[in-house]
Amino acid sequence: MRRWIWLTVVAALAIAYPLLLSSPFQQRLGALVLLYAIAASAWNIVGGYAGQVSVGHVVFFGCGAYAAMGSYAKFGLSPLFGIPGGIVIAVGLAAIIGVPTLRLSGHYFSMATIAVAETMRLIVTNTDWLGAAVGLSGPTVPRNVFDLSFLSSLPYYYLFLLVLVITLFITWWMTNSRMGFYLRAIKDSERAARSLGAPASRTKLYAYMLSAALTSVSGALYAMMFGFVDPESGLGILISVKILIMAALGGAGLLFGPLVGAAILVPLEEISNSWLGGKGAGLTFVVYGAIIVLIARFQPGGLLSLFTGRKKSKSDTGAGHAP
Amino acid sequence: MSFVLVQVIVGGLLLGAVYALFSSGLTLVWGMMNIVNFAHGDFVMLGMYVAYVVYTLMGGGPILGAPLATLVLATVGVVVYFALIRDIMKGPMLAQILGTFGLALLLRYSVFWWFGANFLSMPPNIVGGTYAFAGLRIEASRLLAGVVALLVTLGLHLLLTRTSLGSKMLAVAEDQTAAQLMGIRPDTMQAIAWAIAAGATGLAGALIANFFYIVPTVGETLGIVAFVTVSLGGFGSVPGALVAGLLIGVIESLSGYLIGAIYKDIVVYVLFLLFLWFRPQGLMGKA
Amino acid sequence: MKLKHVTALLCAAAMSIALGTNARADDKVVKIGVILPMSGGTASIGAHAKAALEVATDIINNAHPELGNLPLAKNAGLAGLGGAKIEVVIADNQGNPATGQNQALRLITEDKVAAVFGAYQSGITLTSSAIAEKYGIPYLNSESVAANLTERGFKWFFRTTPIATDFAKAYVDFLADMKAAGAKTDAIALVHDNTEYGTSVANTIAGAFKEKGQPVALDVAYPVNATDLQGQVLQLKDKKPDVIIMISYTSDAILFAKTMQSLDYKPAILLADDAGYSDPSFIKAVGKISQGVFNRSSWSVGPSGSPSAIIADMYKKKSGEEMDDTVGRQMQGFFVLADAIDRAGSTDPAKIQVALKATDLKPEQLMMGYKGVKFDDKGQNVLASGLIIQLQDGENYTAVWPKANAVKAPVLPYKGW
Repeated sequence: MRRWIWLTVVAALAIAYPLLLSSPFQQRLGALVLLYAIAASAWNIVGGYAGQVSVGHVVFFGCGAYAAMGSYAKFGLSPLFGIPGGIVIAVGLAAIIGVPTLRLSGHYFSMATIAVAETMRLIVTNTDWLGAAVGLSGPTVPRNVFDLSFLSSLPYYYLFLLVLVITLFITWWMTNSRMGFYLRAIKDSERAARSLGAPASRTKLYAYMLSAALTSVSGALYAMMFGFVDPESGLGILISVKILIMAALGGAGLLFGPLVGAAILVPLEEISNSWLGGKGAGLTFVVYGAIIVLIARFQPGGLLSLFTGRKKSKSDTGAGHAP
Repeated sequence: MSFVLVQVIVGGLLLGAVYALFSSGLTLVWGMMNIVNFAHGDFVMLGMYVAYVVYTLMGGGPILGAPLATLVLATVGVVVYFALIRDIMKGPMLAQILGTFGLALLLRYSVFWWFGANFLSMPPNIVGGTYAFAGLRIEASRLLAGVVALLVTLGLHLLLTRTSLGSKMLAVAEDQTAAQLMGIRPDTMQAIAWAIAAGATGLAGALIANFFYIVPTVGETLGIVAFVTVSLGGFGSVPGALVAGLLIGVIESLSGYLIGAIYKDIVVYVLFLLFLWFRPQGLMGKA
Repeated sequence: MKLKHVTALLCAAAMSIALGTNARADDKVVKIGVILPMSGGTASIGAHAKAALEVATDIINNAHPELGNLPLAKNAGLAGLGGAKIEVVIADNQGNPATGQNQALRLITEDKVAAVFGAYQSGITLTSSAIAEKYGIPYLNSESVAANLTERGFKWFFRTTPIATDFAKAYVDFLADMKAAGAKTDAIALVHDNTEYGTSVANTIAGAFKEKGQPVALDVAYPVNATDLQGQVLQLKDKKPDVIIMISYTSDAILFAKTMQSLDYKPAILLADDAGYSDPSFIKAVGKISQGVFNRSSWSVGPSGSPSAIIADMYKKKSGEEMDDTVGRQMQGFFVLADAIDRAGSTDPAKIQVALKATDLKPEQLMMGYKGVKFDDKGQNVLASGLIIQLQDGENYTAVWPKANAVKAPVLPYKGW
């Protein structure tokens, strides 16, 4: 019961936020938090719940971003049409990447995903049809509402909120289904899970594909809001790391972990940039780096684990010491 | 034509040796402690800046800069181990990525804050010019780095396989609890491993500084090369890193010359992925 | 249980945002928002530009009669606004188009800037100017060369710098003159990185030479921030082009110079396209082994006592660096913007826009070697132009072409070290 009360309060706050803090920059910050929360929650499905630390999720993010901008720049359609297109491409790609790489353990899986992401970035950088290094632009002067190019961040905010709720619902539903049960078993010990009859490979692949689809949506939304994608901002490895860090900081494998991570890191980044960035002394990143280090040092399971009693999460991600 | 190819291959081998040199530290901690050090490239960067500071303050080339960079970075390694690594090792792999990535930003932008963003460079020919053998040209500074790479690899390999310190370190890597029961202190061993790894990385940075440019963000460029080298060689395998480094160097050089440089990284990554498919434990990693 | 803390955290985050103050524009101060790369791989550009803008603000806000015809120099402040002072608010774009756009929004809505100036990287100029366009705030760009920036039908976007088509034409003419003087310029090689800057400029230059019936003989592309460039240099050494046109950022420019020396390769003519070759760090690092490299520039120091020499002096005092073309174009762009605000006599964006459109500066009113500043309907300065400079002594560039602006005659062939 208490759970539901708190859920209602959070929902009410989330809905009221852009009306209470209504300056354009605050609204945009809110929208950005939600956007990164979507991406980090999507990553959480495979990185947190399945324990497969993908550092190449930007590939799927890029699928969505390029599909959205491509449908406008190449076909003159609303970027919205890119969302289903991006999902299809991302899921297909996830299957192609996932089958060979998901059998790799721990660090090798992470490295393989980095290699895939970098390969994709290099290919797109050299593909003229995808704008090569120049990138693709969206509609700067919207033709109609479906071009999703707004002056105010308010429409983006509520759109992102809706998508985040759907993402979290899917995640919640998944964790309570048979698939979630398998995933937890696999994360604890893949060998044990297999011997108990859990279809480990298939489950991991499904989780990977689901995660890819949702990540692609976040990429499409990102590109629509900024009206632009290029290889660095759509496929750069730093975006993968950023998504991963948000989830890990809030608490990977926890439903609200990524949201908490995004709600801390996005404002931290933007506000420290606003205050310190113009001085040009690199202090933004000194502060940013120091905070991340401190959290990793004192709260390795993520901030939310502080409250959930999973402080010493022993569910290592397949990369820990041999017992 | 074929003569140019020889130059390309020789250049690639020397480049590969440099890759191996700055990857050996990464493979050591990665293999021994299962730590993914995202700040590795920035350790190389620190080594480069130490060498540069030594040069501007005291003059002198790598003879002074390299040992000092080794010492300074070894100290940094120990400090980082006790302040951060010891604790995040106990957490999940994600905490390690989080911690070392934060450390990377912290190091990179502390240097940025202190030295500014300008590109720095050692004076040309600080090690001695370029040797020409029958038209084949080899830069002295690269040759020095290549030779040191071989020595460091050999040294680390012997240390791990032939000395009691090495056996103790491997014992800790294998099974901490058992090692502890045998009277080995895991903390000490791992701190030593970090000192060695960071020291080797600092040495690499100081030697690379002789022919590369120096800038706070240089670690980003070098870090990813080290990651690929180490994964290809097998985590924890020092000889593996050498072979992988040489292989990558030659592939990059050859593909850059033959099919265009913008594709050379793609070739390396695709090869790496294919390799993982057939041999998931890396070139010389244990199955 | 956990939700309680989620709420607490969300509230904390929200509070921290709420605390950001909304500064009101002071009547006596005109704020200009500046977006630059202050961190990341191109941060040195931002650091230099910051010093340059401080000098520019000093020139505008204080009386500098020694600067002659330069608008706004004579008296203190903006005469058109009753002596109001200019204030620069710098934001870091972190080399990221999204961050650039967020910061543009912040500058416009929080800091209430009268105009936006930036943002170096073309991709970031693209996203950040889109926000200014939506808000109806003038945006002045002084250094991004991507052609598409002025092809978007924007009404608030103005660009003072010459773009790739302008200097591609200059290269064609320059090489024709060199040929007339007896140099061999038949086989041309383009060397460029795979960034948006490298590829787009290379394409434009290749097109310009093709039009003249002299297609580029060799195109060498390489990944930006390369760890090694031996393959590329050997390729050039193998194919022996007469002329090499280099389109590189500082990191790769330094590595190219070092690699060319170690492999003992010198082309007859080495022509660089600004960027890395204009960076003072490049000259400090490898100037001595790059003697005789030609470079594009719109900046020339001029005789001592001339306004440009005085400005170069002020800049050197501020930053410790020699003035270079990139910084000069930024300062010039900033002066154009300040001049328009002065003539508008108001911080009203629409009036500044009108004033910018009416801009008609003569060469003697400029610090850069443009033929003037006058914008077409797309916002591009149609009088932007450049000259060719040469690093003859390995320490300072001197203007060598066209003849009218030349301080010394061009020296051939490329000397190297």
